[in-house]
Amino acid sequence: MRVLVIEDDAEMASFIEKVLVEAGHSVDKAIDGERGLELARSADFDALVVDRMLPAKDGLTLLKEYREAGGKTPALFLSALGDVQNRVQGLKAGADDYLSKPFAPSELAARVEALGRRQVGEPQVTSLKAGDLEMNLLTRKVTRAGKKIDLQPREFRLLEYLMRHAGQVVTRTMLLEKVWDYNFDPQTNVIDVHISRLRAKIDKEFEEPLLHTVRGAGYRLQG
Amino acid sequence: MKLGLPTFLRTTTFKLALLYSAMFAAFSAALLIYLYYSTVYYIRNESDRRLDLEFEQLGNAYYTGGMERLSQSVLERMTRTGSTYFYYLEDSSGRKIAGHFQRMPVAPPVVDSKTVYFDFDQPEPDGSMIVRSAAGKFVRLRDNGGALLVAFDTAQQTAIVVRIQRAIFIAAPIGLILSLLGGVLISRGAASRADELARTAEAVMGGELGRRVPVRGSGDEFDRLGQRINAMLDQIEKLVDATRHTGNAIAHDLRSPLSRLRNRLEIALSQPLSQEAASATLNETVEEVDRVLATFNAILRLARLEAGAEGERVRMDVSELAEELAELFDPACEEAELTFKSQIARHLMILGDRDLIGQALSNMLDNAVKYTPAGGAISFTAARGPDGTIDLTVVDSGPGVPPDARKTVVQRFQRLDSARTQPGSGLGLSLVDSVADMHGGELILRDAGGPAGQPGLKAILRLPRA
Repeated sequence: MRVLVIEDDAEMASFIEKVLVEAGHSVDKAIDGERGLELARSADFDALVVDRMLPAKDGLTLLKEYREAGGKTPALFLSALGDVQNRVQGLKAGADDYLSKPFAPSELAARVEALGRRQVGEPQVTSLKAGDLEMNLLTRKVTRAGKKIDLQPREFRLLEYLMRHAGQVVTRTMLLEKVWDYNFDPQTNVIDVHISRLRAKIDKEFEEPLLHTVRGAGYRLQG
Repeated sequence: MKLGLPTFLRTTTFKLALLYSAMFAAFSAALLIYLYYSTVYYIRNESDRRLDLEFEQLGNAYYTGGMERLSQSVLERMTRTGSTYFYYLEDSSGRKIAGHFQRMPVAPPVVDSKTVYFDFDQPEPDGSMIVRSAAGKFVRLRDNGGALLVAFDTAQQTAIVVRIQRAIFIAAPIGLILSLLGGVLISRGAASRADELARTAEAVMGGELGRRVPVRGSGDEFDRLGQRINAMLDQIEKLVDATRHTGNAIAHDLRSPLSRLRNRLEIALSQPLSQEAASATLNETVEEVDRVLATFNAILRLARLEAGAEGERVRMDVSELAEELAELFDPACEEAELTFKSQIARHLMILGDRDLIGQALSNMLDNAVKYTPAGGAISFTAARGPDGTIDLTVVDSGPGVPPDARKTVVQRFQRLDSARTQPGSGLGLSLVDSVADMHGGELILRDAGGPAGQPGLKAILRLPRA
């Protein structure tokens, strides 16, 4: 993917670049809001990473203007102010996801990855497939190698999210935000426990495990 | 002192006082002038009326008994004690018939009747003469050409008028001076109270956070203002204390993980490491840093919460959130070999911030999971509490919190000694407490009624119902 990083702090910008390049993306950088907006409009990017505090034009204004002019590229909003109001403001201005500093590199990589997918994959699929695991979104039936798997509603949503992002690393925070719609941290390893329950249902009786734990980052459902 | 005037002269109160003095002076002047003229008019009127009465009575005498009866009546009146009138009756040839005077004291007017003013000499008992002024009425008796004068001494009348004039000339300046003085006093009083406020503000700005505005207990507007300002200063002092405490706590609580981190890195640097050992060390380092950052974020969040800068309250169904959290924590409890039970009443509505309430409840549940030994039980209930409240209760069968420690565990970074071995920042219950505060509720900690040594903790987040 081709990612535009709009960030004025040079060290932070090169850190983001390094993380994204390592994850296999190509990165362009802009150091202020004006240039960032110009670049975002002029070239075709797969994802934008926009810092909130920027010289010349702040991130919120930039995103608003970009969206108003019809810009479609999904954007990840970065901010040092990690509270809920800022997140809401960012999403309202047209960001697709929000990440507060400091963040783990894996979190950034996972979220940018998820953003790029959003653009392509989303329109009305009725079924999802990962390896021999299949999910019918209409009948809510899940099978692996033809064998039916019974899931609780929450487990279904969890698996759906993992399957939509099959092959990508998905972090615990992303799961909390997207599957549970929580913007707080329940602390206890609640997500791990839910994952291990899900794993027991989809992987236990099969030779090849599909749901992998990525150390220090999160989980990945093999595609 | 830019204008070189005393402070009070420049105060609003003084300007108002000045305005009031001017208005008061104008009002007083009008009142006094009115009083003066109406009194004078009344006195004149009254004398005229009484004079007319005299004439009426004398006229009656004349009509019933002629000149003889009239002169008799005049003589009678002259000798009557307490009479204040002077009489003089003459016949048509101008000869005196009766009266106080030797002869007619005024030139007889041509007309039938006339009001007259004149001076006359009156003999005193010691033989001297004094000049007196009189006012009266002269009437010519129509059918015999005689004339009658009735007059009264105007000295008394004049004295009254003079006295009123004097009163006015003395009272007016005194009144003006007094009202100005009053204005000055009032404005100086107000100015001095305002100065007290200013001095207190300066002292507080100068770092004397304990200084308060003196309150006199009179309940006047300055007292009320003072009380409000003092309440504000109390709150500020509390916040500053909290910040100071946070600063100390951060220093204390972050120093140890940071020193551990440094030690680990020092050791790693001091010896050649295999690739594997190096990456293990780095992984641990990253985890340690993550913990430090998490604590940092928690502190920031708490600070923002306490400063009232976070959270947006909307009407929400807290039962739904509780159900979800129960579902979220159920497997974690099972993992920790704890029995988990939840009982959530439906559709309990509160005015709240979903994320903050969620975080608070998570912290309560997380505490229960962390501190309850395997084999224990946790229950989570949501129900109507007393007085229009909603109680969100987490009960565990852990070691509980001793009664004397219940106040301190909600303070930042306060952890029971027994809990120090567990991971955690000591901010969990502080956050619950702050969230409760922000929602106008409270966090209540009680014994759960378990056996001695393992009484368990009952934590109730009590929120007002919406």
